[in-house]
Amino acid sequence: MITHYCIIRDQNIVLDGKVIFSEKNSDLDAFLLNAYASLKVDYPKFYKMDNLSKLGFLAAEMLLKDRSLLNDYAPEQVALVLSNAHSSTDTDRRYTLSSRTAPSPALFVYTLPNIVAGEICIRHKIKGENAFFVAPAFDPALMADYTDMVMAGDTGASIGGWVDVLGGHYDVFLYLHEKNKAGLAEHTTGQLKELYNTTLWNS
Amino acid sequence: MVAGTGVISAIGNSLPETLHAFQQKKSGIGAITQLETLHKNVLPVGEVKLSTEQLAKITKQPTITRTALLGIHAAREAIASAGISSLKKWRTGLISATTVGGMDRTEDFFQPFLQNPSQGRLRDVVHHACGSTTELIAEAIGVNGFLSTINTACSSSVNSIMLASRLIRQGLLDVVVAGGTDALTKFTLNGFNSLMILDKEPCRPFDATRNGLNLGEGAGFLVLVSETVAAREKIEAICHVSGFANTNDAYHQTASSPEGRGSFAAMQQSLEVSGLSTDDIDYINLHGTGTVNNDQSEGTAINRLFSDKKPKLSSTKSFTGHTLGACGGIEAVFSVMAIRHGCVFPNLRFQQPMPELGIVPQVEFESGLKIRNVMSNSFGFGGNCSSIIFSQIQR
Repeated sequence: MITHYCIIRDQNIVLDGKVIFSEKNSDLDAFLLNAYASLKVDYPKFYKMDNLSKLGFLAAEMLLKDRSLLNDYAPEQVALVLSNAHSSTDTDRRYTLSSRTAPSPALFVYTLPNIVAGEICIRHKIKGENAFFVAPAFDPALMADYTDMVMAGDTGASIGGWVDVLGGHYDVFLYLHEKNKAGLAEHTTGQLKELYNTTLWNS
Repeated sequence: MVAGTGVISAIGNSLPETLHAFQQKKSGIGAITQLETLHKNVLPVGEVKLSTEQLAKITKQPTITRTALLGIHAAREAIASAGISSLKKWRTGLISATTVGGMDRTEDFFQPFLQNPSQGRLRDVVHHACGSTTELIAEAIGVNGFLSTINTACSSSVNSIMLASRLIRQGLLDVVVAGGTDALTKFTLNGFNSLMILDKEPCRPFDATRNGLNLGEGAGFLVLVSETVAAREKIEAICHVSGFANTNDAYHQTASSPEGRGSFAAMQQSLEVSGLSTDDIDYINLHGTGTVNNDQSEGTAINRLFSDKKPKLSSTKSFTGHTLGACGGIEAVFSVMAIRHGCVFPNLRFQQPMPELGIVPQVEFESGLKIRNVMSNSFGFGGNCSSIIFSQIQR
C-alpha cells in the first residue's frame, strides 16, 4: 500500500495531505533553500544539487521522516521509479548558458535526469531496482504497472512518482509504496491518479 | 573460454601491431588529426590512425558511423582468430558496449541543422542510438541471434564480457562475441573538458604529478565459447574468464569515493567468484585513467586488498588513451595477450609514486614471464565498478 505521499506545488510541501511547509512570495531557489533549512538535517551536499535533485531530495526526506527504510528492508529490497516531462532540461539550459563563458563542472554533472535518483539512493542507502521515465505527463498506469513488476520479486518497498522542473514551473508527487504494510491507499492506477490530482492545483 | 581476440586502437589496427607497439613502448597519444574540433592543437588524444573513409574501405562497408566501423574491424579480427568453422552452427550472440554510438555522425548533422532547421542530412542521424551500432556490427559479422548493447560509461565493455560469460555458463548461448567500441566525438571531448579532467600533456597514470586523462578511441572484442564448442571446433583456448564482479560506489555522479569502496568490492568479489586469492594474480591491468581522483581511489583499494604483496600492474591507457565504453574490451584483449605471450605492459611516463600510496607500476615491457591470472579493472561514471579475471587453462 501507499504508506506516505508528498506533493511539492505552489510553494507548499504537503505530506499525506497536510501542509508541512509553506512559503509564499519567494522564487523557487529561495523556497528550496528555506524548505531545506526547515528540515534541520545536516546534508551539505544539498547546496550543490540542481533544482531537480533538490526537489526530489526534499520530497524523499518527507516520505522517510523519522524513519530509516533499512530497519525494515535490505538496501537491495527498496526500488526507485521516477518520471517527469522535462528530463534535466532545466539544468541543461543553465549549463548551456555557462558554457558560453566557462563550462561549469558542477552543473555538467547534473545534466542527466536520473541524477536525482542517484542523490536519493545515496542519501537513503537504497540499492534496489531503479528506473526513470520521461513522459509528457504523469502516467499513473505506467507507474502502477511498472512498479508492480519491479515489486513482484523480493523488493519490499519502492519510492515512486513524478519530479519535474523547468524554470519557475515545478511539480512533485512522490510516494512510498510498501508491499506488506497497511497504508493510506492501495497502489493502483486509480488511487495514484486521485492522489496526484487532488492536491493544490491552483498554481 | 576465450577462443579469439581482436583489437583496434591508437597503437595499432591489429593484434600484432598492438604487441609491437607495447614492445617498442610506442604510445599512440598525440595531436588530433581526424576529429574536427576547437581543441585540435590543445588536447592530445589517442586516435585510431585511419580516417573514417579508410576504415570503411578496409571493412568493405559504407561510411556508416566510425563507432560501428571500429567495432566491425575488431570483431572480425576476433572471429578470424577464434578459428570457428561457422558461427551459424552455434547459438551465437553479440554483446557490444558503446557510450557514444553513432554520435560522431549526429555531430555532422547538427551544425548545418543549427543554422537552418531545414538543413542537415537525416541519413547522418539514423544510427545515433547505441543499439544501432550493435546491429550494424551484427549484420557485418553475420550474427542474428542474441544481441545486446551495454552502456554503463567506462565499465561498459567489461560488463558486456561479464554478461557473455554468464550466458555461456548458464547454457543459454554457445558462442558470444563480446566487447565494446567507441569513437572520439566532440561531445565526449567537450564533456570531459567541462569536468576539467583532461590533461593537455600525454597522461601519466599512477604518477604523483598526474593531471588528468587523454581520451582515446577504438574497439576490443573477445570470442567466448562454451567447453562443448571448444571441444567440437578443436579450439585450444589458452584462457577463460574465471571471475567477475560489478559493484557500485554510490558516492558521486562522476567521481570515485576517495577510499575506492566500489573498486575494492569489485576486485574482492571477482576474486571470490574465481576462487583465487590475491597471491594468484600475476598482473593487474589498471583502470588507471590518470585523473587525480581515479588513480588515488583505485590505488587505495589495491593497497587495501593486496597490501604489500602487489602483483605487477600498469595502465595501458598511457598508450591508448581512455577509450571509454571500449576500454574494458580493449584491455581484456591486452589481458589475454599477457597470458598468451607471458608478458606485461609498461605504464608510460611514470616517474614518481603517489606519496600517499607508494605504488610503483611496471615501467618496462617484460616477457618470458609466467602469467597465469590477470585482473582487469574498469570503473565508470555513476560509480559503476567492474573487475574481471582471466585465467590460463592448465593442460
